[in-house]
Amino acid sequence: MFEVLERGSIKVDLLRFKYKDSLTNIFNSLNFKIEKGEFVGLMGRTGSGKTTSMMLLNGLIPHFIEGEFEGNVYSNSMNTLRYRIQTMSRFVGLVLQDPETQIFGITVERDVAFGPSNLTFGKEKIKEVVQKSLKAVGLEGYEKRITSELSGGEKQRLAIAGVLAMEPEILILDEPTSELDPAGREEIYKLLSNLKKKGEVTILVSSHDTEEMLTYADRIIVLDNGKMIWEGKPTKLFQDVEETKRMGIRPLEIAEIANSFYKNSLLKADSEFINKNEFLQFVKNNLTSFKSSHNGSKKNNLTNYSPVVIETKDLSFNYQQKDSALKEMNIKIHKGEFVALIGKNGAGKTTFSKQLNGLLRPTSGSVLINGNDISRFTTAQLSKEVGYVFQNPDHQIFSATVFDEVEFGLKRLNLSDEERLTRINNALEFVGLEKFKNRHPFTLGKGERQKLAFATVLAMEPNILIIDEPTTGQDWDGTNKMMEMLNKLHMQGHTILMITHNMQLAAEYADRIIVFSNGKVVLEGPPEKVFYETEVLKSAFVTAPDCINLSKELRSYGYIKYPVSINEFKKDLLEEFIWKGNVN
Amino acid sequence: MLIEYFPSESYIHKLDVRTKTLGFLSITTISFLFLSPVINFFITLCTILILLTIGTPLAGIKKILKPLFPIFILMLLITGFTYPANKFTSGTNQNILFSLGDVPFTLGGFLYGITLVLRIFIMVITSTIITYTTPIEDILQMLKKTKIPHQFAFIIATGIRFIPTMQKKSEMIQEAQQARGAEIGTGGLIKRISSYISVLIPLIVDSLRMSDNLAIAMLNRGFGAMKTTTDLNEIKMKTKDYLICFTEVIFIAVAFWIRSENIGGL
Repeated sequence: MFEVLERGSIKVDLLRFKYKDSLTNIFNSLNFKIEKGEFVGLMGRTGSGKTTSMMLLNGLIPHFIEGEFEGNVYSNSMNTLRYRIQTMSRFVGLVLQDPETQIFGITVERDVAFGPSNLTFGKEKIKEVVQKSLKAVGLEGYEKRITSELSGGEKQRLAIAGVLAMEPEILILDEPTSELDPAGREEIYKLLSNLKKKGEVTILVSSHDTEEMLTYADRIIVLDNGKMIWEGKPTKLFQDVEETKRMGIRPLEIAEIANSFYKNSLLKADSEFINKNEFLQFVKNNLTSFKSSHNGSKKNNLTNYSPVVIETKDLSFNYQQKDSALKEMNIKIHKGEFVALIGKNGAGKTTFSKQLNGLLRPTSGSVLINGNDISRFTTAQLSKEVGYVFQNPDHQIFSATVFDEVEFGLKRLNLSDEERLTRINNALEFVGLEKFKNRHPFTLGKGERQKLAFATVLAMEPNILIIDEPTTGQDWDGTNKMMEMLNKLHMQGHTILMITHNMQLAAEYADRIIVFSNGKVVLEGPPEKVFYETEVLKSAFVTAPDCINLSKELRSYGYIKYPVSINEFKKDLLEEFIWKGNVN
Repeated sequence: MLIEYFPSESYIHKLDVRTKTLGFLSITTISFLFLSPVINFFITLCTILILLTIGTPLAGIKKILKPLFPIFILMLLITGFTYPANKFTSGTNQNILFSLGDVPFTLGGFLYGITLVLRIFIMVITSTIITYTTPIEDILQMLKKTKIPHQFAFIIATGIRFIPTMQKKSEMIQEAQQARGAEIGTGGLIKRISSYISVLIPLIVDSLRMSDNLAIAMLNRGFGAMKTTTDLNEIKMKTKDYLICFTEVIFIAVAFWIRSENIGGL
């Protein structure tokens, strides 16, 4: 029977697709449908085919990225094989990762107008759509701003506005929030949900954000190995903790609690809770009594006896012609500490970290490493003591083999051949790349390149490690593996400074949290203290992990502990609360 | 690098791009016409005056001129030593200031060197005035009026748009390499040059990746969907522009006449 497809709908009927130079098929029978006006989330591990499948939807595959293509893809009721990409772009708006390469205009206004003027909209019409799209993404008043001076979050929103201005029926976004802080992430999702409410566009978003997908998506499609392995309502997906983990998706914290209740037969399958309100309702209905126990901090507190390895004295810094980026910082970090630097984008975390290995030099004040003022040393000299791992591994890879890449920094250290070899092998072994020693770095996947960049820093054997956003853009597995490595180094006695937007990780792994806001430290201390300072966190635009917000809600029942990770909280819930149906 | 466009309401900002281009051409022509540093110095002063009155950030210009200083000194030395006294018509310019061995350093040669330096100065300043006061879109439209295909104009615009991005990238790469022990830009000449390879390779690889993404993003934004594109702001010559253009032409004519009377030489 002939099927009538509605405008704004998507139907993928792909038998197979293979890149021109590839040996295996990227997709083998990929089939899914999206109805007009739906908000669909696309999830799955890195490399599962999320980005590639998005490129199917406006004809980039097979028109721009060529290969063996069998099947049909209909977007907005148009068969992508029959139309040019530019023609499809009028109806199917695609925003890819990295907003930087999607901005063409020198000013914001001109950039948003780029699409509509390519489609030869009338002048008045262009002015109207530019205004409308800038308003939709919350960039009104930015019309004349220079695009290269925008922040990461603003660039991301501009990229979306540029596509919105073409008035597409279908809006597709590839990981639009991976580089943003929690506040920026929330803004993007709110914007999308507003667009959806107006009923004008169908939305498909790929993401690793479990919480947001639960809140905003109507439906989730999970890909793995180029196949759709799951499809349905987000509540249904996240309720099944084991299943989400198996599919490489970070489970929802509340679902983990529900799951452990279920396992301890405190919860029936039909009365599961999936959000905060349902959870509190459950507590209200099922809690019978409470065994109070005293609170004890279990994290190492090194601040008292361990020597200070990093100290900043009245450290201030300003970039040219701008107000100060760092204001009179006095921070002491002790040997063997694991410190997480948190705060919203632009709060000064990276600017501060770069002072510690001399990439930036203080405008006033001083930085002491192991008690020595570092102003006399170059960054290269400091690299033996302070290792700095950057976010983007591709900014440093330039050798022909993985081995040479790790050797690069060591060449200047005048080591014996034997010592050098040992160090390279140790570093590669630590990150698990020893079997790729002779491979060309660019034939490795992104996650492996990140490990390689990490190994090049480790080979210098620094005692202090600074890691900038180690888990950005990584899927759940990648995140866990990275954190395992950091934890292992921490156990070996390294001092670790981690810049992160991932509050769960900060709370779970760090001994101490330092909260930055406007170039100042507004709060510092162990996670069980910092994450319970609701007001200060709010003023610094930091949101505590879910389990902390939940445990605060349980104060009225007599719960006085300060759990920082979901596992601690789960344990407390099961051991210290007495529930209906509890045999003890 | 050139100073980027900054939106403002100065009197130069309000002029049409063609008026400014003609202005640039007439000023450079005049400065090339005269060999005398006095006249070139006067032109330099005038351009600096314009520069100051429209509020250009001077730090940016310092950044452009600073690396040129060794070249300026070299120019003065070369012209001073290589121009023999008999090259100059005026007696004073035939004077020899000092000699290095057998090679005389002439006053005329030295003055000619100053003129050359001032010409560079003038070109840097006038082109800065144009880039600071003119949106790139206006320059593109001017090119379009000369029947250059708009794809070509687009390449130029995108190139300019990506200058700050590439600068930032190269800074980030330098930082990443330094952080793992690379000494960049220190040591002897050969060591210094070879140290930049570790910056250059990732930069090239990254640009290739970016250009691929850029091509995809262009298609996503409908580039080439139609044969033409909508122009947002039509550039327009006002009465003031015509008057200034006329004055500029007169200036050139007068300059040619004065020069033909053999004034302003060396």
